[in-house]
Amino acid sequence: MSDGKQERIYCPVCLARFKKEEGWSEGAVVICPICGQKLRLVWSPEGWQGERVDRGTEKEIRERAESFARLRGYSFNEMKEELIEGLVGKHRLFGEFYCPCRMEHTPEYQCPCKPTRGGDVERKGRCYCGFFWKKQV
Amino acid sequence: MTGPKSPEHTRTVRVMAGKPKVYALSTCPYCKRTKRFLDEHKIDYDCTDVDLLDDAKQDEALEEIEKLTGRRSFPVVIIDDEIIVGYDEQRLRKALRL
Ligand SMILES: [Zn+2]
Repeated sequence: MSDGKQERIYCPVCLARFKKEEGWSEGAVVICPICGQKLRLVWSPEGWQGERVDRGTEKEIRERAESFARLRGYSFNEMKEELIEGLVGKHRLFGEFYCPCRMEHTPEYQCPCKPTRGGDVERKGRCYCGFFWKKQV
Repeated sequence: MTGPKSPEHTRTVRVMAGKPKVYALSTCPYCKRTKRFLDEHKIDYDCTDVDLLDDAKQDEALEEIEKLTGRRSFPVVIIDDEIIVGYDEQRLRKALRL
């Protein structure tokens, strides 16, 4: 791929493609700048893919949420641990880390859900579940 | 009737028309807090974890919730004709006369 076109990496959590940076090669571990997921880079015939590190574990969702909050400048409150417990429960019951306070079990409601990635916290001060909060200025 | 309320009267007032009903999600911490609050106050209530129902019963419950509240938010607590969406200790206290 030397046609000068920006290479992109597919994130299996937020289902989006983000820019591949200079120096990233196969096996590198990177953070999806859109959802915060930790990914190991793999080259496939369809292009660059990210493989979820620690897939399905509490560590995965905790790190994803913390990275997402760091990337966006959001904070957590005293409900954080109970909500992580709820996310782990969703994974156990429904196979993915879906919003613990919703009845939606589709890819766009994997935490951080699509409305949250789309700026709900900026607009409303918090995400639907009260997991991510806009910092007070 | 005017005048001071007798203890009997007070007790009568505290008797609720029916058991409070809670619609919850098993993974939702606000639902858990609501249940814990009711348990701590020794309230006898019925609870349905909507996410754990089979498909047919789940559709029925979701329909009922949408009819009652106009949305799909949890928990929903029904105390007589009071409908409380979300974990709201103040409204729970008021509705239960605690
Ligand atoms: Zn992502």
